[in-house]
Amino acid sequence: MKRLLGVALGILTAIGGFVDIGDLVTNAVVGSRFGMSLIWVVGVGVVGICLFADMSGRVAAVSGRATFEVIRERLGPRAGLANLGASFFINLMTVTAEVGGIALALQLVTSIHYLLWIPLAAFAVWLVIWRVRFKIMENVAGLLGLCLVVFGVALFLLQPDWGQLAGQALSPAVPQTENAAVYWFYAVGLFGAAMTPYEVFFFSSGAVEEGWKRKDLIQSRINVLAGFPLGGLLSVAIAGCAAVVLMPAGVEVTSLSQIVLPVADAGGKLALAFALVGILAATFGAALETTLSSGYTLAQFFGWSWGKFRSPGRAARFHLSMIVCLLVALGVLATGADPILITEYSVVFSAVALPLTYLPILIVANDPQYMGSDVNSRGINVAANVYLLIILAASLGAIPLMIVTGAGA
Amino acid sequence: MILTDVLGSRVTSSDGRYLGRVADARFVLDQPPPGQLLAGARLLGLIVSPHSAGSFMGYERNSVNRPWPWAQLLKWWHRGSFLVLWEDIEVMGPETVTLREGFSAYDPGLDGTGTA
Repeated sequence: MKRLLGVALGILTAIGGFVDIGDLVTNAVVGSRFGMSLIWVVGVGVVGICLFADMSGRVAAVSGRATFEVIRERLGPRAGLANLGASFFINLMTVTAEVGGIALALQLVTSIHYLLWIPLAAFAVWLVIWRVRFKIMENVAGLLGLCLVVFGVALFLLQPDWGQLAGQALSPAVPQTENAAVYWFYAVGLFGAAMTPYEVFFFSSGAVEEGWKRKDLIQSRINVLAGFPLGGLLSVAIAGCAAVVLMPAGVEVTSLSQIVLPVADAGGKLALAFALVGILAATFGAALETTLSSGYTLAQFFGWSWGKFRSPGRAARFHLSMIVCLLVALGVLATGADPILITEYSVVFSAVALPLTYLPILIVANDPQYMGSDVNSRGINVAANVYLLIILAASLGAIPLMIVTGAGA
Repeated sequence: MILTDVLGSRVTSSDGRYLGRVADARFVLDQPPPGQLLAGARLLGLIVSPHSAGSFMGYERNSVNRPWPWAQLLKWWHRGSFLVLWEDIEVMGPETVTLREGFSAYDPGLDGTGTA
């Protein structure tokens, strides 16, 4: 019974934890501009993140090593440092976007300007990382994030033309109002949002934090294989709402209030309240995960002691580096840079950096010296190689598409 | 001199012919000397790779050949690489490593998983 509860809790946490500001913004933007015609990318991304998380979780559980320890060992210090630089920069951008997201959500609740909320949001993130136990932190944010299910409910309440939505989703085509380059630019963005590298840093480091062993592998697989696809459905619901309400109205999503507009439209104040709680939990949870990920990557690369299972005093550099990251994020946001815009860039750059972490994990997941008999099976390797090609294509295409389309304008 | 200074250096034979670049250094652990508890790592030799000074990514171990095609690609990348013993090195750096006349080139592969 306890084990069953553990599995249920793990799945629910994975669902709620899947969506972050990147998914919220990108899905709403894509839904409002392309209807459901890009929704296949969410599917591609979800399968990819399942594969990637499964491999890195298995490496962490069997060898006891988290992603960046593995990367440094395999690539050597120099190539590893270049990798760390890119991954860390993108992660920092995501931290900034998530903290901004918390502030924007609080602005929607209170009507107080988001810039005033930013210091408080960053402080709250730090306080939770400093004080709250890993397990509680992860579960509370994940479970409250489940409030985002209201986007799915809203989609039903809106009574859309299901046939039309399905038609757009199943036979995707570039809408007449958009050109092909912009379509593919947003495809890359949506892929980057679903497969953000921090999810993997956090997932594999979390496996070490929670002391996973070989016997926990089944549970981790269930969490990933059930939780992430269901989380992906939340993304689809967000895009669906935007496609039904915002696209016909010609609204281009540039703010959080537009993202929740369909929910308020369909379910009134109560639904809106759920959506706001869900967004707050999702951004707050992701802010915790990204901030921790920046500490994890740095500490794992440089060989500092890390982890929330140690008291802050025993992992001083780990905690200090996270404080510095939050201060940097605070500084960037204080310039008045638009968090939504930062988010849109961060998902694209995520796609650019993805191969850097994916390939080392794929190699180590095949190494019998680390993995013993738990090396990748043949089927997983075939799928992983197919995904490597997709990831490489997205990574190489991202910057040219960004330049050609003027970042999707 | 530290290892970073050596890695990537050009390697030439005694008559100045270019052989490759230093891709790795191979160490062995001996029995500890009498009266000491720990064995020091002793430099056995350098790995010279004719085409790339990049990392072997762990594929110097003969038994590791997955995942296709990355293992094959990385092995191909380092084709023709060899291990040259410390005794066969005439001049060490700063920019170039020169090998002694009549040096022996050994197979750089490690048997088993590399731990034995």
